[in-house]
Amino acid sequence: MPAIRTDGLTKYYGDVRGIEDLTLSVEEGEVFGFLGPNGAGKTTAIRTLLGFQSPTRGSAAVLGADVADAAALREARARVGYLPSEPGFDERVTGRRLLEYHGALRGDTRSDELLELFHPPLDRPVGDYSRGNRQMLAIVLAFMHDPDLLIMDEPTSGLDPLKQETFLEFVRTERERGTTFFFSSHILSEVRKVCDRVGIIRDGRLVEVSTVDSLLDRSGKQLRVTLGDSPDEGAFDLPGAHDVTVGGRTQLGDDGDADRADGLTAVSFTYTGGYEPLLRALLDHDLRDLAIEEAPLEDVFMRFYDTDAEETVERVEAEAEDA
Amino acid sequence: MLETARYEVEKRLLGSLALAGGLAAFAAMMALLAPGLLGEVDMAALAEQLPPTFVETFDLQQMGTMEGFLAIELYQFLWLIGLGAYVAYAAGGAIAGDVETGRIDTLLAAPISRERLLVENFLALLSPILLANAAVFAAVFTATRFVGEPIAIADLVAVHALSVPYFLCCGAFGTLASVTAPERVVAEGVAAAGIVGTFLLETIATSSDLGWLGAVAPMRYYDPTAVLTASEYDLGGAGILLVATAVLLAASAAWFREVDLS
Repeated sequence: MPAIRTDGLTKYYGDVRGIEDLTLSVEEGEVFGFLGPNGAGKTTAIRTLLGFQSPTRGSAAVLGADVADAAALREARARVGYLPSEPGFDERVTGRRLLEYHGALRGDTRSDELLELFHPPLDRPVGDYSRGNRQMLAIVLAFMHDPDLLIMDEPTSGLDPLKQETFLEFVRTERERGTTFFFSSHILSEVRKVCDRVGIIRDGRLVEVSTVDSLLDRSGKQLRVTLGDSPDEGAFDLPGAHDVTVGGRTQLGDDGDADRADGLTAVSFTYTGGYEPLLRALLDHDLRDLAIEEAPLEDVFMRFYDTDAEETVERVEAEAEDA
Repeated sequence: MLETARYEVEKRLLGSLALAGGLAAFAAMMALLAPGLLGEVDMAALAEQLPPTFVETFDLQQMGTMEGFLAIELYQFLWLIGLGAYVAYAAGGAIAGDVETGRIDTLLAAPISRERLLVENFLALLSPILLANAAVFAAVFTATRFVGEPIAIADLVAVHALSVPYFLCCGAFGTLASVTAPERVVAEGVAAAGIVGTFLLETIATSSDLGWLGAVAPMRYYDPTAVLTASEYDLGGAGILLVATAVLLAASAAWFREVDLS
């Protein structure tokens, strides 16, 4: 039985689409990243899964409990932890009192241990907390009853980089123990650190479900080459080479003089082909330096979002100038 | 069991104590002032000067005794309308406020049903209600004995005991406003204005031939003046208020169970 299963899950707010026809399943013990830009429908999906709102169409089950069956879902929630992106708390009570209250609601088997990793100032009123401290308190509340499934909405938002690392490490450790995670994010670096699979959502629709490795394989390698000579136009027109730039500018129509200091030329491109033709082509030149790296996941991600940020900015600025 | 009610009572405790203290101080002041005022001013003569409908509407013919004076100066307005509107207002802000701050998400992520959350929030209203009752009862009891004009203890107990169903009904109305209104301030406003509004409606309706209109007003079923001046205890009225409370709560729960929280 999958930990989460959705089948054609759709939620409209009046005429406004939240999510549409979302079908996915999260297996027990996996860390599933739910990726998308802000406003794509991530929070809508999560709040529907938790029963805070009813689906317009379609169905979903969490730990086997139908989200439309309030009583079954309530029972299932005893084994679910929820970490919202902006947790709402009573401002006037202390963290300790909140911890005690939530412990009474859902059980508390491990808050002491959690508080060693995440330590909000428990004796102060929550209203005085910084963003990071609020998030740490929310983490402790989400994990205190040792749930089997964690549903997390942008869980690292508000945490400082050090605490983000601690949190991701904690997620990895929990995964070893068999805990399932459903994890929305728009930060790719954290997704690739912990997730087994990702689903990418855009405008309320699921556009891709894949393993992180396969996403990276498909995106190819990023090459940065330094040459001692001046390559001809088209020297790197290999099958599988994309976005070739020479001297920091695209090859076409580029004189590149400014970038060829000391007679060196910098070439960079994305490459999805085999190594042999690549190396042969490189050795035709005076090769001074070569770096082959994984393409940033951001590039892969942008392909699914279908909007090139640079293009958008340029277009908007051009329109502003015209006006 | 009842973790939420306990938690909400704690949250309301300081406010409830302040409210109870303020009401008790006012009650004691009125009781201490009464003998002097009643001795100096001939209330019956004063009442004759005023329009008869006015006198009748506000039971002014009763002003001449300690019981009547307290009924009119304390129980009929500050107690009935002031505290009633406060309870409704507090109930109105409860669920609506939690939805507005997103706090409801962190609560409902726990294995607790919406209905339970609603009922426990409602039960927490007993803290201002019971504390105010205890404090005002003690203040009136002590002060009237201190000035040597004690009120019959049975009447005093009855006026407070019968107020509990009345305030619960105000709270249930506020709860319904809380789950149905689109935002917190609207819920609070509708809840408090509903109590004041039905009071005005009842007052106007009673003095016209549209008396039946006042049947929706909870004040019709709890009359502190009749309890204190005539020892008339409207137990049937208290029953109606409790039934109305149950109906309002059931309607609130039915609505809250289905509604999208956002």
